[in-house]
Amino acid sequence: MNGFSNYLHTLWQVFRKDLQVEWRGRQGLPVMLVFALLVVFLFNFALQLTPGLQAGLAAGLLWVSLAFASTLGLNRSVSLERENHALDGLLMAPADRSAIFFGKTLSNLTFTSLVALVLLPVFSLFYQQNMLNPRLVLVVLLGLGAYTSLGTLLAALSIQTRTRDVLLPVLLYPLALPVLIAAVEATRGILAGQTFAELQSWILLLIACNILFLAAGLLLFDTILEE
Amino acid sequence: MPKKQPLLTVLNILSALLLTGALILILFFTPVEAQMGAVQKVFYFHVAAAWAGMLSFVVAAVGGILYLAKREMRWDWLSLASIEVGIMFGLAAILSGMIWAHPIWNTWWVWEPRLTTTAIMELIYLAYFILRGALNTPEARARLGAVFAIVSVITVPLTFFSIRLYRTIHPVVFVSSGSTAFTMSPKMWLAFASSLVAFTVLLAALIWNRTRLAALQAHAGQEEN
Repeated sequence: MNGFSNYLHTLWQVFRKDLQVEWRGRQGLPVMLVFALLVVFLFNFALQLTPGLQAGLAAGLLWVSLAFASTLGLNRSVSLERENHALDGLLMAPADRSAIFFGKTLSNLTFTSLVALVLLPVFSLFYQQNMLNPRLVLVVLLGLGAYTSLGTLLAALSIQTRTRDVLLPVLLYPLALPVLIAAVEATRGILAGQTFAELQSWILLLIACNILFLAAGLLLFDTILEE
Repeated sequence: MPKKQPLLTVLNILSALLLTGALILILFFTPVEAQMGAVQKVFYFHVAAAWAGMLSFVVAAVGGILYLAKREMRWDWLSLASIEVGIMFGLAAILSGMIWAHPIWNTWWVWEPRLTTTAIMELIYLAYFILRGALNTPEARARLGAVFAIVSVITVPLTFFSIRLYRTIHPVVFVSSGSTAFTMSPKMWLAFASSLVAFTVLLAALIWNRTRLAALQAHAGQEEN
C-alpha cells in the first residue's frame, strides 16, 4: 500500500474501532444523550422558559446542551485509550499520527451528531419551532465539526495532565467561543427565517474554524502524543 | 550562571525613561478632550496596554513554534514569560477600560467586542497556567504549553471577529465617521505614539527579565511552572 491509502486506512480503522467499542459497550452515547436532555430541563427552570420563547433562546439552549454533552464524549474518546495502554497500540499504527486525530474527530463528530439528531426533534416538540430543517442540520454539522476537531485536539492534551479529563472544559470553552457564537447566531438566523446569504458571515466563520482546527490537528497532534 | 546582558540594563533604564516621558506628555501636554473630559486621558495607557498584551501573546506563540522546531528550553521560557507578562497587560487594559467606561458609558462593564475579547483572552491564558501546573516534567510543560499557545493565538482573532460581528458600540479611533468616533489632535497623536513606544519597550524589558529569571531558576535546579 502506498502512503496515502495507508493513512486513510489508519484513519478509517480508528473511526471504525471507536464506533465498534461504543456499539458493544454503549457507555458513551447514552450518557451524552441523557446529559444533553438534563441540561435542557435545567435551563428550562433556571431561565423560566415558556413554550413560546424566542428563536434566539432556543438556538442558545441547543448549543449549550450540545457543547456540554460533547465534552463528555470527547473526554471518553481519549480516556478510553489510556485504559490498558490502548494508546501504545494505536501509536504503533504505520501512519502519521494525525490519522488518529482525524479518525477520532470523525467518531466524535458522529456521536455528537447523533445527540443533535435526538435534540432537534425534542426542541421542536418542547419549544414549538420546526428545527428539522435541512439548512439547520447543515449549520449543526458545521458547528459540531469545528467544535469536535478543536475538542479532540485539546482532549488529547488534557488527558496527559495529572488532573486528566477535569481540565478539558477549562481549555476548550474559551477557545471554542468563536465556534459557539457563530453557530448560535446562524441557528438563530435560520429559525427566524433568514437565508444563507443573509447569514453568510457566520457560515464562513464556521467553515474557517473547521479548516483552521483541522489544520492545527494535522500539524500538532503528533507533537501532543509523543512521549 | 547566565550572565546579565548589558543590553538588558539599557532596556530597563530606557523603559523607565520612556514611560515617565509618556506620562508627562499625557498629563501636562495633551489637551483635555471636549466631551469626555480628563478621563479620556486613560485612553493612552489603555490602548498601549492592550497592544502590549496582544503582542506578548503573539510572541508566546512564536516562542512555542521555535520550541517545537528546536527543542531548546529557552524558547519555552520566552513563551512562558510572554504569557505571564501578557496577562498583566491584559488586566491593565481591562481595568483602565472599566475606569474609562464608568463615566462615559455609565457602567463598569459593557459586553463590547474588544473588552470581551480581552477578558476571554485572559481566561484562555489562565488555562495555560492550569495546564502547565498539571503536567509533571519540564519537557511536557514546554511541549504541551507550546501547542496550547499556538492554538490559542489562532482562536483569539476569531473570537474578536465573532464578537465584533455580534455587536459593536466601542468608539473606533482610526475611523473619523460614526457617532462614537473621536478625532485626535496632533498633540494627542504624539502622546499616543509615545505611550505605544514606551509600552512596547517596557514589554520587551519585562519579557526579557522574566525569561532570564526562568533561566536562572533552571540553573539553580528549582523548576517551577
